[in-house]
Amino acid sequence: MDGAAIVRIRELKKDSVNFVLENVDLAFANSLRRVVMADIPSIAIDMVEIDANTTVLPDEFIAHRLGMVPLISANCDDAMRYTRDCTCPAGCPICSIWLQLSVTCTDDRTIDVTSDNLEVVPGPFGMSMSMDDAPEELTKRGPYFGHPVNEPGAQPVLLCKIRKGQELKLRCVARKGIAKEHAKWSPCSAVSFEYDPHNKLRHTTHWFEVDERAEWPLGPNAEEEEAPREDQPFDFNAKPNKFYMEVETDGSLGAQEVIMKGLAELQTKLANLILGIKPDLDMIAGGDGQAAGAWGTDGGNWNASEPAAGGAWGAATAQDATSPAWANTAPPFGGGSSRRGAASPGRAAWSSSPTGGGGGGGWGGAQTGWGSPNRETNGWAT
Amino acid sequence: MNAINRHELFVLDEGENPVEVTEDTKIPNAATIRIAKQDHTLGNMVRAQLLSMPSVLFAGYKVPHPLQPYFIIKVQTDGTITPQFALETACNDLIKMVGDLEVKFKREFAFKDADGATGSNAAGGPTAGGDDPYGGGGGWSEGKDYLDF
Repeated sequence: MDGAAIVRIRELKKDSVNFVLENVDLAFANSLRRVVMADIPSIAIDMVEIDANTTVLPDEFIAHRLGMVPLISANCDDAMRYTRDCTCPAGCPICSIWLQLSVTCTDDRTIDVTSDNLEVVPGPFGMSMSMDDAPEELTKRGPYFGHPVNEPGAQPVLLCKIRKGQELKLRCVARKGIAKEHAKWSPCSAVSFEYDPHNKLRHTTHWFEVDERAEWPLGPNAEEEEAPREDQPFDFNAKPNKFYMEVETDGSLGAQEVIMKGLAELQTKLANLILGIKPDLDMIAGGDGQAAGAWGTDGGNWNASEPAAGGAWGAATAQDATSPAWANTAPPFGGGSSRRGAASPGRAAWSSSPTGGGGGGGWGGAQTGWGSPNRETNGWAT
Repeated sequence: MNAINRHELFVLDEGENPVEVTEDTKIPNAATIRIAKQDHTLGNMVRAQLLSMPSVLFAGYKVPHPLQPYFIIKVQTDGTITPQFALETACNDLIKMVGDLEVKFKREFAFKDADGATGSNAAGGPTAGGDDPYGGGGGWSEGKDYLDF
């Protein structure tokens, strides 16, 4: 891209951030938008067992509403496993959070059942694990991990209203997931994205009856850019360069965390693609298994790719000294094909000792683990 | 009705190759790369980056069917590099750029936090009990010592 990217945060609140992104490609800015909306894990209620429901709403209705309740998911990348990645047979404290709700109305008044009535409970296994020998994931959780978001001064989420004699009693299991599976797992409630507020690039056509200017008033972002002169010819080579975004979260994650995780997720996707093209990478397989759906566990796959590219890689690193080269540092741990991808999402800091040929040989174990931090100990990825 | 399970959109099947390269037999220096369980997020970004490289003659991607969770990207180069290497370079450049952006975002967030007002440390209140429930700063900044090798 032309020149280095520029970021300017215009406004930062705990659940929203408004920023301007400059000197990036339209495709890239859009990828950032897509990734924060759909690829960041959070926690949401995924299963509901209804013990008693004499309210006016059917079970499904209530179950669906429960799924939408935002739960505090800070650091859930590391603090929780996907159920599909967990070794437990049917849910354990590492991959599930149990919540309970039990409200009966005995008053003459109507009672609101809200997300405040949801309480986190230890679950069917009890808290057999004390905090000392708790798995690593549990130690990374904040004190209110998995609790419904409860903003001071804000109304809780209304689930149902019940009158005298009615009862709602249920148990829920909350799990980690991403919004590609179901929108309830999206940490974002709204992401706004705008470029070219004056429509200089004519990426859109303004339909109007009489006066285009009057019928299409300029938004606040228009102040950031110079208005085109009346007689200015259309520049058909111009490309969008400045993007105005606002990311607003539902409270399950902070805005800052969403952005940083979004960038990390983009890197993971790219890194997985690189690892996929390079042949003979049997050592990366195991540890990274199931990462974000990107990797199979079968190391053998890598050997199948044709070796031709290996040579090309070697030659090319020499040719392009500025591009980061994969290093041939001795892997610090493990050996053979069972090496695990280390956690360090090595970014721009690839060591530059290209060794060329063979491709596979050039992969230091320490560099192989792209993706979310803290994956080293368990190999579970997001 | 014909849609696959939602989780299959992003979880690789057993033994599925995440990336498959098919070299084109009729066009020189061209390859079609099939990338499984990824979508426009990755495809469009990589395509745009490839097009910005002088040695790439053609780059295009498509998601052949909306119900099938993969995309293909076609790359043709001028012969100085292989399409695979072009793709790899594009990814490396993008990773570098994202890394750069990450640093800049971090700095901007730090500035805004220092400004006081609205930073993540404002997230107190009854639920928070003093501990920041949003992990603002906490969560992702730990364990990011990616220079540890």
